[in-house]
Amino acid sequence: MKSFEYFKVKTVAEAIDRLKENPDGSHILNGGTDLVLRMKENHLHPDRIIDIRGIEALSEISFSKEEGLFVGACVPLGEMAHHKSVMEHYSMLADAAELVGSGQIRNVATMTGNLCNASPLADTATPALVLKAIMIVEGLDGEKEIPVNEFFKGVRRTALEKTDLVIGVRIPFEEGLQGSFQKASRRKDVDLSTVCASGVKIGDEYRFALGAVAPTPVRLPQVENFLRGKEINRETMKQALELIENEISPIDDVRSTKEFRIHLAKTLVQRCLEQMA
Amino acid sequence: MKIKFTLNQEMIEHEVVPNKTLVKMLREDFDLTGAKEGCGGGECGACTILFNGKPVTSCLMLAVQADGQEITTIEGLSQGNELDELQKTFISTGALQCGYCTPGMILTAKGLLAENPDPTREEIKTALSGNLCRCTGYKRIIEAVEQAAKQYR
Ligand SMILES: Cc1cc2nc3c(=O)[nH]c(=O)nc-3n(C[C@H](O)[C@H](O)[C@H](O)COP(=O)(O)OP(=O)(O)OC[C@H]3O[C@@H](n4cnc5c(N)ncnc54)[C@H](O)[C@@H]3O)c2cc1C
Ligand code: FES
Ligand code: FES
Repeated sequence: MKSFEYFKVKTVAEAIDRLKENPDGSHILNGGTDLVLRMKENHLHPDRIIDIRGIEALSEISFSKEEGLFVGACVPLGEMAHHKSVMEHYSMLADAAELVGSGQIRNVATMTGNLCNASPLADTATPALVLKAIMIVEGLDGEKEIPVNEFFKGVRRTALEKTDLVIGVRIPFEEGLQGSFQKASRRKDVDLSTVCASGVKIGDEYRFALGAVAPTPVRLPQVENFLRGKEINRETMKQALELIENEISPIDDVRSTKEFRIHLAKTLVQRCLEQMA
Repeated sequence: MKIKFTLNQEMIEHEVVPNKTLVKMLREDFDLTGAKEGCGGGECGACTILFNGKPVTSCLMLAVQADGQEITTIEGLSQGNELDELQKTFISTGALQCGYCTPGMILTAKGLLAENPDPTREEIKTALSGNLCRCTGYKRIIEAVEQAAKQYR
């Protein structure tokens, strides 16, 4: 690991000041499970690391039906997955978080880090998309909100400016929502998704998202439009699954071939539909 | 940079460079060689320590992140000469051969039992899924954790 300057900041304002001093050379450290690994492997050599784990306000997690769920940027995935309101009202998000890495990883890694890392296979990204999560961001001009469907710009690229700090993720509460998270990986535990999928059903509306089938996690608008108001039976299910291929652009890599990913994408969306039936 | 933290119940002040990982600091600066750097990438669990009571992989943490926190390594688990129950049951069931994975296994199990004193076999397997062992085949490790859970209760 190359040497760097290390700052442990106590407030959001202090973090922004440090970022402002050297926007190009700075990197925010949260749980570090992505960042430290990338630094060890010499993919990244920042001049300065801004450790935000000392900002107490970012470790909050709260829920109300009016405000929805707020998960502070530094809340570990394990804590989030076991939070009473998350288990009760956002069980698909709890399921996704529980399948990230190992218990040791989940004790430090965060949902905000998972999303900011912007990997196509990030496990909390597809639930965030179908649950219409909003990134709460502090920047040079104060607070702003970025809906998660506008957040991912490419592999490891987000809508964040170099001087932006994500404060946390807000997820609205929708009465009567049913959801499902599905993950396919080579090994049952401690493995990255070969493909992952999320679905929600609310009234006669459906929303779906897939991970690891395109440069960013993606929603499936064609499938969603087709299914709206329809009864799910063998025929509508078959037609819906056929539309998936148009909406994704998977590649071959160490985890899978393109063809198998298409097959998995259909299988996982089908499992979502079955779980929500 | 100067950091202050609790290491195996002792307050420590220590000078460390920011680009050193926590596992390297524990091994090189404190001679606590229980935590091993196996894969170096969060996959094998050999570097597991307790960070504020919770198991974490110290190969993916910077030493400076220990500042203000409480760290327990396998060396700090026994009370004087009295071994922890998990250490005893690992010995009595023969849950180790080369021992490379053992500190990580025990500390991960310690974290599990602190949260869930009566885990099922499946829960033990899931909790230990981030700890790889090349020797034992895991069966006795799971038995050791089951027996320790009984002893604690
Ligand atoms: C062994 C292992 C297994 C894994 N398994 C999985 C898996 O199954 N599924 C999965 O999805 N991921 C997996 N991961 C990846 C990783 O654990 C997650 O992406 C994790 O959630 C990242 O969170 P973090 O807090 O550790 O982020 P960090 O590593 O601290 O940060 C990640 C990125 O986000 C940026 N960032 C973090 N917080 C903020 C903020 N508040 N504002 C702006 N930018 C920010 C950082 O600068 C960095 O670029 C695995 C990793 C390892 C090492
Ligand atoms: S050395 Fe840390 S997990 Fe393998
Ligand atoms: S006892 Fe040898 S690796 Fe587990």
